[in-house]
Amino acid sequence: MTRSFSNLAALACLVLGALAPLIFGGQPYVLYVLTLALCYTIPAIGVNILYGYTGLVSLGHMGFAGVGAYTTALLMKDVGVPFVPALLGGALAAGVLGVLVGIPCLRLRSHFFIVVTLAVGMILFTLFNNLDALTGGAEGLPGIPRPAPFSIGPIDFEFRSLTGFYMLTFVVTALIFALQFVLVRSDFGRSLSSVRQDEALASARGVNVFGHKLMAFALSTAIAGAGGAMKVLFLRAAAPMSFDMHESINLMMMLILGGAGYLVGPVVGAITFIAVPEFLRIAAEMRFIFFGFVLLVLARFAPRGICGLAESAYKKLGRREKTVVGYS
Amino acid sequence: MMKRMLTAALATALMASAAYAQDETVTFGIVTAQTGPLAAPGKFQMNGFELAVEQINGAGGFQVGDTTYKLALQVYDTRCNAAEGASAMQRLVTVDQVPVVLGELCSPVAAAEGPIAQDFGVPLITTVPTAASLTEQDNPYYFRINANSNQLNAALAQYIQSIDGAPLSFIAWNNDAGRGGANGIQKLLGDNYEIGYVGFFNVGEVDFANHITNIRNAGSKSVMLLMDEEPGALAIRQIRDAGLEVQLVGTLAMGSNRFLDRLNAEYLGGMVQYSAFPPNAPIERIKTFSDAYKAKYGEESHGFAAQSYDGIFAAVEAMKAAGTTTDPEAIRDALSEISFDGVIGPIKFDETGQASPPVYITEWCDDGTRKIIAPADLAAECGAG
Amino acid sequence: MTTAIFEQFINGTMMGSIYVLMALGMVLIYGVMHVLNFAHGVLFMVGGYLAHLFFFNLTGSYPLAILGAMVSLALIGVLLERAVFRALRDNLRMQIVASLGLIMIIQNGVVQIWGPHALQMRPPPVEALVRIGQLSFTVQHFVIIGVVAVSVAALYLFLTRTRLGTAMRATSQHPEAAVVVGIDPNRVYTLTFMIASALAGLGGALLGPLFLIFPQMGDAPMLKALSAIIIGGMGSVPGAIVGGLGIGIVESLSTLVVPTDYRDTIVFGVLILMLLIRPWGIFGVRVRGEH
Repeated sequence: MTRSFSNLAALACLVLGALAPLIFGGQPYVLYVLTLALCYTIPAIGVNILYGYTGLVSLGHMGFAGVGAYTTALLMKDVGVPFVPALLGGALAAGVLGVLVGIPCLRLRSHFFIVVTLAVGMILFTLFNNLDALTGGAEGLPGIPRPAPFSIGPIDFEFRSLTGFYMLTFVVTALIFALQFVLVRSDFGRSLSSVRQDEALASARGVNVFGHKLMAFALSTAIAGAGGAMKVLFLRAAAPMSFDMHESINLMMMLILGGAGYLVGPVVGAITFIAVPEFLRIAAEMRFIFFGFVLLVLARFAPRGICGLAESAYKKLGRREKTVVGYS
Repeated sequence: MMKRMLTAALATALMASAAYAQDETVTFGIVTAQTGPLAAPGKFQMNGFELAVEQINGAGGFQVGDTTYKLALQVYDTRCNAAEGASAMQRLVTVDQVPVVLGELCSPVAAAEGPIAQDFGVPLITTVPTAASLTEQDNPYYFRINANSNQLNAALAQYIQSIDGAPLSFIAWNNDAGRGGANGIQKLLGDNYEIGYVGFFNVGEVDFANHITNIRNAGSKSVMLLMDEEPGALAIRQIRDAGLEVQLVGTLAMGSNRFLDRLNAEYLGGMVQYSAFPPNAPIERIKTFSDAYKAKYGEESHGFAAQSYDGIFAAVEAMKAAGTTTDPEAIRDALSEISFDGVIGPIKFDETGQASPPVYITEWCDDGTRKIIAPADLAAECGAG
Repeated sequence: MTTAIFEQFINGTMMGSIYVLMALGMVLIYGVMHVLNFAHGVLFMVGGYLAHLFFFNLTGSYPLAILGAMVSLALIGVLLERAVFRALRDNLRMQIVASLGLIMIIQNGVVQIWGPHALQMRPPPVEALVRIGQLSFTVQHFVIIGVVAVSVAALYLFLTRTRLGTAMRATSQHPEAAVVVGIDPNRVYTLTFMIASALAGLGGALLGPLFLIFPQMGDAPMLKALSAIIIGGMGSVPGAIVGGLGIGIVESLSTLVVPTDYRDTIVFGVLILMLLIRPWGIFGVRVRGEH
């Protein structure tokens, strides 16, 4: 991965994201869909840490997102906990569950681990659906409150309005994005990459493979939990259907489409998978058939997704410029 | 060539705008599932909306103040997915700027759409979702035309107490409708009523063998089937094929000729079900609707269609009363006041936005027709249900 | 209670037989090619739809409809192996991506072609009943159990008694050595996918008439078969048979004591437990470096 490419793309996303309310202020629908895309970007960042940087596939990640979602929602709705601690509580619950699942299961070979994530995702969905007294069951949990407004000096912050909630989601996403950035650029992140490339070699070089995988899984599930929480706070209702196997598979697809192993991969993926089809309102079946074919093509020819393609284009461009400079 | 095409396009545009000037059009927003696992019931809902629009426009439109308006629908597919439903709702109220939104099939999706209606001050009239919690959110912009699960359960519980049906067992969809129904009816029957067995199955599952064994084991005298047509037909077939002699109690999906076609009279005789809308009832407004529906779609009408049909008329009546087709606030105020005779019964919203249409109980006769056994004042013989 | 246990035992054996068909296909593909084919469930579903098509539109005979579905699925299997999976050999992550893509294409494609409504077909064995004491089952229950038993026997004979079958086993046990003795691995891979897909098609054509034919009908059998091959032991044919039948019977019997809405949770819970205690499964061989 070229660093300059990555940094440039990340910077562009940040600037565009922060300016979105100014650009689209008069178009609440656009802002709405962008907020929704951000709500998916967060768990996709979680999956990126796990899949893109550590090389582990999870087909049950939206189950963990659901744990975060229901925890945060119930803390805010029934206990009256303020937003920040409730969000952290949701992320913590999902992360702790990640550790509990990870400790026994991360020692398994990779395809067994995939099956475990699938099974855990299904079990979690069953619990969301069946624990009527706690989660509202299949009828859903309506009436989830938006974060309370507050003021710092003369500036008022409120989150009931679309712009207010967009900015909140943007800040949360940016913080998690920054966490991803720091993580992958750290020694820890480099060790993760070595685990992804060759586990045996990494282990021979003294990397604690299991410890690294566990840390990555815990972070990844905690981030997914935060994403799930933002999603139900945004929709103001939670439903088991939002956290089922298909959503988990969609999350993986989003990341692969955008580009696993790229900082901005989750952002590009969520925009392409959530926002673009919503704007175009393409009939659902055609949309999925189309994305299915895209996946086949990506698997065969471009396993690094849209970001991978963009990077090669960028490199080609850079080379040409350099050539011009070198010989003129 | 290019020039000719441009001229043609221009001419068409001019003609369209000319037509527009003569005939004002009001566009209602519709959210419904047209694809995904609930596409089939979504179709009935859509049929109801379209029939209402066709009849209103066919009669020359409706008059508000001095202007006559034609009706159009802007339909978005929500696939029974909360995020997609909320996005569609958002699009309808901000991009399409419709004065009123109708529809929805799934309670959790309606729960996500309701707050957007409130944010933007546009009334939302749902015509199918039953979760009682939907009208308990202090949302003045949320209206529900169909009976909610509390109302349906009350009617069923009352019927069950009137027969010698204990111990009662349940086979229910593991979704909003099934779980809500099974839990609600048990609550209404009280702790003293003997419950045999309660089994849930996931949407898409069709193997009822496990449930049937448990129902036999529990010595049940009656079984309540809380599900849609497709699994319902299989469940009844498997129950009867397994030799279980129990009183069957079903949902509104099971009181139709469509359902009879899936099975036959021999399987159904004696079964009862609740119904929001008995299509053959000897009531004038129901007859008229059923005939029109059959003429347009070539099949027996459906409760979801009737509820949705009434939804459109509720919105139109509210616009007439409010004297505006563009001010959602005034339309909301009018909706909370209106009262008219719909196909499903008298329509009047209470302070939570809930209407109280009658809930019927119908019973299958041995010849494959149905009779109405409740409410008592509307009871009618075989062939009427 | 004994009646109930017997009834659930028959029902469980019937569902278990279906899981066995699915599990055998998945285990063959995994054993020979090391591909975990999540798209196997949609092949099962296509088998149901094609049986419906052959029954109502082409042949009018249920046995011929089953055969038609199997042959069509065999061809689809060849196509999938050649066009999709061959290029992704030894790339687990991209195989998963491709199988997820196939699920999306096929499941939504079926809705485009046949619509979202479930289809019904009722050939004679579904209409006829067998009475045993106070219980009764459809003839189709026993047709399924019988056909699966015969198929399993045939597959066993094929794998042990024929040249091609031996080549398949050899490739699965020792790919490099198989090449040395003159086996063309590509032919074996194609053959494996062909047989596996045909078995999935058979499963769909058998179960579809008893219940309903709908786009998600393969999801649950695929997940149960996946559990079966892991519990039985990845790559083990006897493991797939015991695992499939075992899951079918245990999940049926479990519903006598556990609420049905937690039935799948039990199967997946057992699966996870098995992976933790004995990841090589009941019949699998412990590989060095595993666990």
